[in-house]
Amino acid sequence: MQQKGSRRTHPMPLSPRLSVYRWHIPMIASLAHRASGMALILFVPFYLWALHGMTGTPEDFDQALNLLHSPVGRLVLWIAGTALVYHFCNGIRFLALDAGWGESQQMMRLSARVVLLVALFAALLFGWLLW
Amino acid sequence: MKKDTGTAHNGLSDWYWQRLTALLLLVIIPLPFLLLCGVYSGVLNQFALLDLLDHFLSRLFHTLLIVAIVVHAYIGLKVILEDYVRSPMLRVALIGAMLVTMSAAGIWWLALVWAWGG
Repeated sequence: MQQKGSRRTHPMPLSPRLSVYRWHIPMIASLAHRASGMALILFVPFYLWALHGMTGTPEDFDQALNLLHSPVGRLVLWIAGTALVYHFCNGIRFLALDAGWGESQQMMRLSARVVLLVALFAALLFGWLLW
Repeated sequence: MKKDTGTAHNGLSDWYWQRLTALLLLVIIPLPFLLLCGVYSGVLNQFALLDLLDHFLSRLFHTLLIVAIVVHAYIGLKVILEDYVRSPMLRVALIGAMLVTMSAAGIWWLALVWAWGG
């Protein structure tokens, strides 16, 4: 605490203190939740476009299907699928944490690890299915 | 400490709506995922797809899906922008632009969902 009348000579301390910071798995899980969420938002227009094509004329349907099967389409589907699985699983984890389940440091780390592993497995599975 | 710009007392409602739409999406999101899987793999041809989409329940779920996605995505991006964009002017402009874009996309999507099959 500062004494009465004294002037502040130091800047406010930064919190967290960046120099002693290091990466923890729950931080990676949290950041990946945001990253995958943004990837999914970018996928929404793509999904809309595909839906628009698939509900159009038979030619539109074939064109949309061809694009989904093209290398670019497969890559988009792979990224979106992996992001969806991750965001879905980590979302359940966040809801559980909000409900007060698994709040201990150990459980947070374990559940983050599990969610990341599930996403890795999904990425491999989708990669195998799409190529 | 200088108070940051922004209205007070709206944090809880962001938090609350983010969780509420998350629960809704938890149930609904597997449906469009399976739909895309079906079309991609060729299990569903266009007739089968249109039969599915034409159903009233499909329209109802799509409507719920659109509203939940737009609200969930809007709050999510808003929170990210609030965390990383320091300038209040830029932040407000970005969030406003996002709100307009997302509402427009949501309305267009709703129109698409209720139009097909006719």
